[in-house]
Amino acid sequence: MKKIIDSILNVSVPDPDDARRRRLLNILLLGNIIAVLLGLLAILVANLVSQQFTQSDMQILLVGILVITLGIMGIYQINRRFSGRWAALLYLLLLNLIFTFTDSPAELSNGRSLFLYTLPIAISSLILIPEASFLFAIIGGGIVAGLAVSINQTVNAFSIIGFLMLALVSWLSARSLEAALKDLRAVNANLDQQVIDRTQALTQSLERERIEAGRNQAILNSIADGVILFDREWNAILANPAIKGMLELPLELIINKNFRSLIEHPKLAPQSRGLLYAMVEHDTQPIGFRIVWGEKTLSVSAAQVYDNSKTTNSHIGTVTVFRDFTREAEVEKLKSTFVGIVSHELRTPLNAILGYAEMFKEAVYGPMNDKQVNMADRVMKNTQRLLALINDLLDQAQMEAGRLTIHNAPLRPAELLDTLHGLMDKAASDKRLRLTSEIEDDLPEILNGDAARLQQILVNLVNNAIKFTEQGEVCVKFLRTDDAKWGLAVEDTGRGIPESELPYIFDTFRQVEGSTTRVHGGFGLGLAIVKQLVNLMSGDIKVESQLDKGTKFTIILPLVIP
Amino acid sequence: MSNLALIIEDDEDLANIFAEALRGVGFEVEHVPDGKLAQERLKNGNAPFVILLDMHLPHVSGADLLTIIKGDEKFAKTMTLITTADARMGDLYSDQVDFVLIKPISFVQLRDLTARLKPK
Repeated sequence: MKKIIDSILNVSVPDPDDARRRRLLNILLLGNIIAVLLGLLAILVANLVSQQFTQSDMQILLVGILVITLGIMGIYQINRRFSGRWAALLYLLLLNLIFTFTDSPAELSNGRSLFLYTLPIAISSLILIPEASFLFAIIGGGIVAGLAVSINQTVNAFSIIGFLMLALVSWLSARSLEAALKDLRAVNANLDQQVIDRTQALTQSLERERIEAGRNQAILNSIADGVILFDREWNAILANPAIKGMLELPLELIINKNFRSLIEHPKLAPQSRGLLYAMVEHDTQPIGFRIVWGEKTLSVSAAQVYDNSKTTNSHIGTVTVFRDFTREAEVEKLKSTFVGIVSHELRTPLNAILGYAEMFKEAVYGPMNDKQVNMADRVMKNTQRLLALINDLLDQAQMEAGRLTIHNAPLRPAELLDTLHGLMDKAASDKRLRLTSEIEDDLPEILNGDAARLQQILVNLVNNAIKFTEQGEVCVKFLRTDDAKWGLAVEDTGRGIPESELPYIFDTFRQVEGSTTRVHGGFGLGLAIVKQLVNLMSGDIKVESQLDKGTKFTIILPLVIP
Repeated sequence: MSNLALIIEDDEDLANIFAEALRGVGFEVEHVPDGKLAQERLKNGNAPFVILLDMHLPHVSGADLLTIIKGDEKFAKTMTLITTADARMGDLYSDQVDFVLIKPISFVQLRDLTARLKPK
């Protein structure tokens, strides 16, 4: 029904103001038709009842109604097809014309029907243009004045002024209505544009996201390492195909399952279980470690994922990367076994060489001249170096295989220093260096630790200090750093370590500068072993050095071993 | 008092060096190169003044030989020195023996040590 009425009333034109005015005109025309038909009906009914109208009256009435109806139809057609402005103008003129014939000139100019002329004034500013109200105030005023003059009456000047006042009000209200509509349309248009822009931006970003997600998935799928993403409760929310082959499990048994169910899987070696549980329970970011899964050795590394988009930077889960380490683990095991055997087998003959050289030096089989003693001395020194190197290699191999362990027991710092002096005094005095030592007063007399490994650390550091110091002294100190810690410091007055080399001095197989290697020899395993031993003891090692001034190594260890 | 030093060591060169060190301070030296032979020697022979026992021996281990020594009354006055390359093993037996020598063992070190132990 609404559609039918709308199709009758609406005129589709691009200008919204024009469309609004034309629709308004159509409504008025429709209203008029209905009013005319109702009027006709009323007249016919009244005539039937009282026979009030004569034949000619009826004829005039019917002709008038017919003319009005045809006029309205004509205007409607003009309004629909040709021009809203012209239709409105014709309609308003027709209204004035009809009004002029509806009553006697006296009533029209100065009586009960005077108000009729206000209607075109008010309507014109709505359906024509706002200013048109003045035109129809003048036309209305003109007709009223004309009618008054035609019947010899005085012109009703007040009514004409009233018409003009009404025109002014109509004009103002129509104008502000149009301005308001215009603003509203501008706001609407702006809103529409914003909606369009937003929609476009959203579409684009969705598209980008889709491409990005596709790319990320492609990357994840082609990584050879197994990747599982866990939420905060350690439920697997994402896994790539590589993990499937690595764990030999279908993805359905990994994704949407809690990590704990994976840890309880029979393929996981019992000794690996603890490591994974530690990672899950402590929720910290563990450094890489290895697990044994069936026949495979896998290296595991985990990183916590944070949501940076929020200001709180909240922890949302953990991404774990599994790498097949089977081959490397086998090679490493083989290597450490090999190094272990070789080192052991090498030590016995070296002990023999050392012993025989000593016997030469000690002239066991008769007197030796100075040169011979010197040669025996050199054989001994070189053999000792070789032995030290083999010991280092053996330690390194054991540490890499994870077989080197720390055995803590009560120990006396004073005894460690006595042994150290026994071992190193000669080497120091040979280079005319002083080897001094001291124990801070507040250090307990008995500490807990691995005496043999601490001795090894001290010998290593003091040996280095002597090696790299040409004059001055090497000082060993036992420190009480704070309530929970104690420390060892070895300080020399040697050449120092260049700042650029400091970060690397604890690396395996490295010595500062190529030239140093030629002067002092050795592989430089000593400091690497010291650092690893200190780490095994839950301690920390620091180095401070100034070129040509000296170097100071400080080791901090816990008083109570965790 | 016996002047005898018994060296139980499978490496010929080391045994030789140890023997020279001990002879150097005046010991009479007897060398057994094998665990099994050492077992018999300990059971049947007389008690020496000092035994230098290698813990890594073929056939019968140094640890087993040490049990024999500790269990036999005739070795009550004998000094026992063990030699090993493994510091851990040395720690393990340090309570049962007089000295633990960690390889490599220096000729001079052994000579000076046994010189102090030798009966005057």
